[in-house]
Amino acid sequence: MSEQKHPDNARREFLTQGAKLAAGVSLASGVMLYGVAQAKPADEAVTSKVRWGMLIDTNKCTSGCDACVKGCNDWNGLKGHGRPSTDAQWMRKVDLRNKATGSVHSLPMLCQHCENPPCVDVCPTGASFKRPDGIVLVDKHICIGCRYCMMACPYKARSFIHEEVTDQRPHAPRGKGTVEACTMCVTRVDEGQQPACVEACNADGHKAILFGDLNDPNSEIAQTVKTYATTAIRADLGLNPGVRYRGI
Amino acid sequence: MKRFTKLFHTAVLVLTMSAPVLAAAGGRVPMPQLPEAKGDQCVEDTDVMRRKHMDYLMVHRDKTMREGVRTPKHSLKECLECHASPQEEAAAGQDEGQHFCKSCHMYAGVKIDCFECHATKPEKTATFHPIVTPGMEYSKAAHQPAGELLNRLAGASEQTGATE
Repeated sequence: MSEQKHPDNARREFLTQGAKLAAGVSLASGVMLYGVAQAKPADEAVTSKVRWGMLIDTNKCTSGCDACVKGCNDWNGLKGHGRPSTDAQWMRKVDLRNKATGSVHSLPMLCQHCENPPCVDVCPTGASFKRPDGIVLVDKHICIGCRYCMMACPYKARSFIHEEVTDQRPHAPRGKGTVEACTMCVTRVDEGQQPACVEACNADGHKAILFGDLNDPNSEIAQTVKTYATTAIRADLGLNPGVRYRGI
Repeated sequence: MKRFTKLFHTAVLVLTMSAPVLAAAGGRVPMPQLPEAKGDQCVEDTDVMRRKHMDYLMVHRDKTMREGVRTPKHSLKECLECHASPQEEAAAGQDEGQHFCKSCHMYAGVKIDCFECHATKPEKTATFHPIVTPGMEYSKAAHQPAGELLNRLAGASEQTGATE
């Protein structure tokens, strides 16, 4: 009897091995194969076990390249009217120049998907909200277009839709009189894909944007933010954005 | 007398048969023109759907938006997948009576604002399941000739129908 393995222990061992397999395959010391993010089953609600984030490496981002912006506009069906002051803009390229050193960096600016989002604090209807997995969205069904969130956002990440929209894409409903911003391509993420900007940047060969689960210690993004110095823009505000930058 | 009764009945019958024509001529709201749906069976029975589709859509809307539940059943996107006319010209203009949702709501005198934001026609036929979700390149390609595949399928079924 004493030689026999306790059933609970056997189960525990099996689970531990399973966890090791799920964590990633180690090829050699220091070389890891990261598993592709698994899509959650479609009928399951998102949980706070996951926190989606992005890490943008400004050393790999090229000034003048706007592949990510194009990818975003394309996937979400954003079409301008040739009026930049009022056209919807979910993502924009910004060039930064350090006056003291003269160094120039280029980076995409988008909704930073804060842990403590000011847009959610000020929304009078509850339309601006944060999903448990950290993605900050506008529920356009109940948005009244007051634009408080646009004023509250320190990143100028949101746009108000001034004109009627036609030919929307089925996965990205958009309409006049509501506020919108980067959704981190939530429909793609729910299906286990990467956001459109990440895919566009990778397709262009820059690979400047890393997308993944910040809560999973074995994910590539979590490992990278753990190993290298990364920056949250306006970290002084204590918003803990899900989008972080490297090299600025 | 018998002949008169017969004549009277015929007259009533003729009037009844021509009622829709007369009604249309008199400016009545035309009957909804529903495009044929894909598949054999809707997600619920037809009489349930007629009365309760708005409730199903409302519940599913919040589950999808807030919780990220993306099951095709009861989703507006899936309604359009099966019911919206694949012909672009028919589906595009919401004021045209051919759109599945629009034509019935016009008849019932209901004004909805779903399509102020939501797409009025499906973009691609297979979606929702991660395995069959096409990549960006595919969707880009599908963006221009939307409904081409559906048209081809419709054409094929017409042909088979003719041979039968």
